[in-house]
Amino acid sequence: MTSWNRALKRWPTWVALVLVVVSFLAVGATRASGPSTPVERAEELEKRVACPTCSGESVYESRATASENIKDRIRLLVDEGQLTDDEIIAQLEVAYTARVLLVPKASGFDALVWVLPVAALVCALAGLGVTFRRWKREAAVDVDPTDDDRELVASALRSESEAPPEERDP
Amino acid sequence: MRGRRLAPFIAVAVALVIAGLFVILAGSKPSEDSAETNLMGKPAPTATGTLMDGASFDLSRRKGDWVVLNFFQSSCIPCQQEHPELQKFVAAQQAQPDGARFYTIAWADDRNAVESFFAKQGGGWPVVLDTKGSIAVAFGVSKVPETWIIDPEGNVRFRTIAEVTADFLGSQLERLREGGGS
Repeated sequence: MTSWNRALKRWPTWVALVLVVVSFLAVGATRASGPSTPVERAEELEKRVACPTCSGESVYESRATASENIKDRIRLLVDEGQLTDDEIIAQLEVAYTARVLLVPKASGFDALVWVLPVAALVCALAGLGVTFRRWKREAAVDVDPTDDDRELVASALRSESEAPPEERDP
Repeated sequence: MRGRRLAPFIAVAVALVIAGLFVILAGSKPSEDSAETNLMGKPAPTATGTLMDGASFDLSRRKGDWVVLNFFQSSCIPCQQEHPELQKFVAAQQAQPDGARFYTIAWADDRNAVESFFAKQGGGWPVVLDTKGSIAVAFGVSKVPETWIIDPEGNVRFRTIAEVTADFLGSQLERLREGGGS
């Protein structure tokens, strides 16, 4: 066994390795990932707002006049620095209605977008559970005869063996 | 057996959902009434700009009058088509002592193009140059033509996203003046 292998097998090495991994995970999980400049903040907001005249495009990607106007508005509000991101989005929503939101809200009627798939998944899983249980029960009936079944077969065999020879099946 | 007992309840639940959707759709307002906007019945957003003659425009200072805003672009065909109707409407309003104030909001358009259009087609009402689209964004306008009616208290009362006629606009304004809802 080499000295390198021996070192690997000592517990302090493993403890050190675990500490390094935990440190990296902690730093990665707590590191601020938001925008660091007003331009980045404006771009993040532009990616959350749908182009009102295009299909499935954000104003960040779109070059339509309405999108350019909205981008100007977002940049102005970001530069003023008085509103939070959600307040800026809410201001645009007042003017353009909820169609301007690329990600639907989790409240009111829009919440159905989030609730219905989860409800459908729960119903589907429940349905599968019920079906599998029924199949299992039916399979158990097919494979394992009950005591009544055994008794029925045994009595049939007994009555056949006790019957006179001429009444038996050939 | 159990499934057979559940079936009527599931059928009733599905029927209720369908009935609910039917009620919602049947109860929704027809589009020819007023276009959807979260601003309906609320104070009109801040709208400031420069008029084509160089004077300043501030919508909040027009309280006390009915105000009609028509969002426009000189290159937009429906805007060109409705222009004669707007001229008729403005003439009718100017003939009344308390007629509505009419403003064109030239959205993201070139000043020379707007001037040239009005010089050729006529229309002596004030034109606000919304070159950067700040008024359009405040009202949520993304296509033209659009026409909005603001009441004397400064609240939004009507929006239409279509070409209008003088009769249609006049009748909508009259209905609102008489206390009709949006």
